[in-house]
Amino acid sequence: MIVDSLKSAWKVADLRKKILFTLLMFLVFRIGAHIPVPFIDRTKLLQLIGEGTLVQFFDAISGGAFKSFTVFAMSIAPYINASIIMQLLQVVIPSLQQLAKEGDEGRKKITQYIRYGTVVLGFIQALGLSIGLLQPTLALPAPGYKWPVILLISLVLTAGTAFLMWLGEMITERGIGNGISLIIFAGIVSRVPDGLKYILQLVQAGEANILSLLVLIVIAVLVIAAIVYIQEGQRRIPVQYAKRVVGRKVYGGQSTHIPMKVNQAGVIPVIFAISILAFPQQISTWFRGSWFANFVQTWFQMNGTWQSIPYLLVYAMMIILFTYFYTGITFNPIDVADNIKKYGGFIPGLRPGRPTAEYISKVLSRITMAGAVFLALIAVLPSIVIGLTGFKNIYFGGTSLLIVVGVALETMKQLESHLLMRHYQGFMK
Amino acid sequence: MLFQRPKLGPLLEYFRNPVEYNLEPYQKVLDEINRIKLHSASDSRLKQISQRLKGMARCGVQPDALQAEGFAVAAEAARRIVGMIPFDVQVLAGLALQQGKIVEMQTGEGKTLAAVMPAYLNGLSGQGVHVLTFNDYLAARDARWMGPVYEFLGLTVSHVTAETDRAGRKRAYAADITYLTAKEAGFDYLRDFLCQDKRDLVQRSFHWAIVDEADSILIDEARVPLVIAGKVPEDTGNRLHLARIARELRFGRDYETDSYGHNVYLTDSGLARAEKMLGCGNLYAPNNLELLTMFNSALHAEVLLHKDKDYIVRKGVIEIVDELTGRVAERRSWPDQLQAAVEAKEGLLPGAKGMILGSIALQHFLCLYPHLAGMTGTARQAAGELRQFYGLDVVVIPRNKPCSRRDYPDRVFTGKQSKNEALVREIKTRHKTGQPILVGTGSVEESELLAAELYKAGVKCQILNAKNDALEAAIIARAGERGSVTVSTNMAGRGVDIKLGGESEQDKAEVVQLGGLYVIGTNLQESRRVDAQLRGRAGRQGDPGESRFFLSLEDDLVQKYELAKLIPDRTNQRSSLERDIDSRVGKVLRRGQRIVEGYNSDLRAQLWKYSFLVEQQRKIIQQKRLDMLLDQAPLQLLANRAGERYFELCQSFGPEVLQKVEKQLTLYCINKCWAEHLDYLAYVREGIHLVVLAKESPLDEYHKLAIQGFQEMLARIDREIVDMFHRVNVQKDGIDLETEGLSGPSATWTHLMKDSPDQFTNLSFLAKAAKRMLGGPWRDVNP
Repeated sequence: MIVDSLKSAWKVADLRKKILFTLLMFLVFRIGAHIPVPFIDRTKLLQLIGEGTLVQFFDAISGGAFKSFTVFAMSIAPYINASIIMQLLQVVIPSLQQLAKEGDEGRKKITQYIRYGTVVLGFIQALGLSIGLLQPTLALPAPGYKWPVILLISLVLTAGTAFLMWLGEMITERGIGNGISLIIFAGIVSRVPDGLKYILQLVQAGEANILSLLVLIVIAVLVIAAIVYIQEGQRRIPVQYAKRVVGRKVYGGQSTHIPMKVNQAGVIPVIFAISILAFPQQISTWFRGSWFANFVQTWFQMNGTWQSIPYLLVYAMMIILFTYFYTGITFNPIDVADNIKKYGGFIPGLRPGRPTAEYISKVLSRITMAGAVFLALIAVLPSIVIGLTGFKNIYFGGTSLLIVVGVALETMKQLESHLLMRHYQGFMK
Repeated sequence: MLFQRPKLGPLLEYFRNPVEYNLEPYQKVLDEINRIKLHSASDSRLKQISQRLKGMARCGVQPDALQAEGFAVAAEAARRIVGMIPFDVQVLAGLALQQGKIVEMQTGEGKTLAAVMPAYLNGLSGQGVHVLTFNDYLAARDARWMGPVYEFLGLTVSHVTAETDRAGRKRAYAADITYLTAKEAGFDYLRDFLCQDKRDLVQRSFHWAIVDEADSILIDEARVPLVIAGKVPEDTGNRLHLARIARELRFGRDYETDSYGHNVYLTDSGLARAEKMLGCGNLYAPNNLELLTMFNSALHAEVLLHKDKDYIVRKGVIEIVDELTGRVAERRSWPDQLQAAVEAKEGLLPGAKGMILGSIALQHFLCLYPHLAGMTGTARQAAGELRQFYGLDVVVIPRNKPCSRRDYPDRVFTGKQSKNEALVREIKTRHKTGQPILVGTGSVEESELLAAELYKAGVKCQILNAKNDALEAAIIARAGERGSVTVSTNMAGRGVDIKLGGESEQDKAEVVQLGGLYVIGTNLQESRRVDAQLRGRAGRQGDPGESRFFLSLEDDLVQKYELAKLIPDRTNQRSSLERDIDSRVGKVLRRGQRIVEGYNSDLRAQLWKYSFLVEQQRKIIQQKRLDMLLDQAPLQLLANRAGERYFELCQSFGPEVLQKVEKQLTLYCINKCWAEHLDYLAYVREGIHLVVLAKESPLDEYHKLAIQGFQEMLARIDREIVDMFHRVNVQKDGIDLETEGLSGPSATWTHLMKDSPDQFTNLSFLAKAAKRMLGGPWRDVNP
């Protein structure tokens, strides 16, 4: 199906241009991911980084740019954080909420705020990284240049993020799919060959056997299938509009409905949870040897040993919590019920207003439970896999998989809807 | 302040709405035309030239090659036959029309004559030119007025109005040049779609159209769907009862409306009360669906539609008032139940209800013309949209004589009360000098109220509104006379020519002395173009004139869109103490008006996106049907899919009869399935905005369903043809459509639908959602 769509998309000049543009932007992204940040001693860096979860996460979404510390080391993460913060602020600050509802102009303004926020957050994060993490690895051009160099590195990293943000927006505008998502996507996918190589090495070295490799593959396929299934899963509550027409025949009852996605919140809760759980890790790198760092080292690792169980439990709980939280923000049953009521709609048998809102709310909380547990499972899965198969140190991230599959599905959908329209125009001429 | 300082505004306006001012290429052709001297040529010589041009055009010579000569001949013929010599600006306008432009010509500069030249030139080839006028009256008038010019030059001319019968229409469309309204042309197009016999087709394929009042037709009315409906029986029993119940409910306590006044909905207590009065238990139970729908319509009619504003009642019939033109919108009705509900509200017997058999928006209909050009007094502000939707450029033609109308800055008041007092004072003072005054109000009701107040103040005035449109010509004829005061609605906008001093030249000089016509607007309209049209009634062809708008913060537009919010707080506070607010507030309101314009333009763009695909489908099905009707499509479905019966019948009746049967069935089934498809799409549109909740794009989702539905429909057509073939009684002259019940509805009629944006339950929501992409917080905010 995917191959077919791509094939026919290629035949449409306009779409081909869009796809080529997107690929070109990917290329730019990959080239940038190999330009190192100046004044860093790479051997020291490798020693230092070790195997922290934080590093792995950043590394995953930046396509390996983090470990080798290139100009895109921070990837688009500050942008995501800025978006998340903005989203939260919209709930809290009424004037922002108003802005978000004001249509085009308001949305443009919010986008602009997010861009500013990205630069500010990016700079703070870069400073934090340079001071907290990189200090021992600096290769100073001359003694006494420590602070200018730190400042320079921070600026370079911030500029890298800002550039990626621009790249993403260009893809959204002139390419296909959502640029920001695609950049994260490309980052993760570009790590796949490395991962495969590593797995093969392990097998060759006899650290893992063929059987566990098979298990790994089966699990990967199952997980992907499960993600697709859940991502697309919807509970459809039928809605009638008793506005004008009577005696119309019933069209399958599916066309007018409130679609309730099982995974309403997408990967956001996972990203939330990881971002927050990254704090202890990050702090512990600043205070090496303190009781806190030791505690984190012992009980808060994500390396597939028994010690990682507390981490995983907290992680899973946070994901469930954030799923509810985020679903609560984005899907307000009272608003939905109100909207339907205002425009003459109703759920058959239910009075509009409160009874409808309560019903939606009930369905929502049930379905969200399923979605939340699913997300948590997918997220902690890598550790279980690692434990089961003995493939140590591979970041077979459930989070990464979620993102990759989600973005791929969405981009395909967009491509298909483009195709649908083109097909029609072609049909006419 | 006669001349305003140059400002940034117009420049920005230019970037938003690019307009062509450069007339140089036309100027060259104009010089060429002026060099052709035909003044002394004899009539027969002129006819001879025309004959030669016609011969060349019919041999395939492109009109552009004949341009200079054609224009010169037409101009000379106009001089001889109707005694009008086209000014240079009119020739320029004609040339721009010939290039397929939208021409902006100021009011009163003679658009009718300007259109004659390109109409003649393109009519030469005999493929048909439609001059689309603003209303039936103008179609008949212009055809009679300009007809002799074309006929003198050897072309045939005709016109179509609502009264023209089918045979007359066929003749009219066969003429080289046809004057008619865009709506009539569209209705005929729809009727042709229902034809069972190719001899019944009235239209030829489209060639050239020149649209008068182009911005109104191409932009404001463009989304109005033309509809052809067939009669279906409907139970009208308890509508009156429902209307009574709706009347007993109270605002706030029992129901609320949304801020734009588009929707009304019951509160909890209102629902309880309604259920008690209806005695129906849970009104939202599935078995009460029909009752609920009727009740909703009754409530909508009661609360949101106002007598003497949205409609008037005349001779026992509901007549909808068009909000843009202020005129009775002929043959327009609200969709579905709403019309019946309004009739019940006014205690009238409901008219026949219909199922929509075919519909097309004016916009799409006009796009069927391979060559389209237009003219209007106010194209500039619509230039952006004209390009976006039609790919048409706007050309501004300079005035023949400079305009000497004075447009004064707006006066703004806090409340309607103080505005009205000031209006009456102003009219009284001006009236004493004898200067003729034209007041443009916002609704029938408002015009009557103002007239009553003027009467109290001792000023005699004439009322012109949708209720007494029969007197229009008489009232307008005298509106320019000394001492006349005319209180009107938007009716006194487009296409109304007010002559200073009435008919006599001497009186005119006197009125000119007094300063010409003084136009007062009492409201902001949704579009600046409508305001400009009202102003344009004064200062025609270099006459003096004045105009001013009186606004208040309680005006409909200001309230509806909450424009008062735009006023900076400081100004606001101070102004509440004064009654006549400083003119800066007026500027703020004007800015608000531009925002409203933008909002409406966004909605139109959104509607266009949703209608685009269906329009493609309509073209496909139309072509399929036409091929069938003209015997250009192979007939082999029945032979393949119902072979046994087919050959059996073939034995007894012969292949010709079977061919006819298949054709009859196909034509019938195409219409039937297409009507069902339209119905299905209307159903999908109502709830499509809900998919946003699953982070899908409603437009994509709509397209998906529309395409799926269309594919299924195509398959269903074939299936139904076969099914029906098995059921019907075949005779030696085919199927008797009447007895088999296949003749379609017993009566069809055409009308316009009132509410184009309302075809979506929640359009503004869609407009927002469409911009939003799928999923994730960073995706919510990306453009």
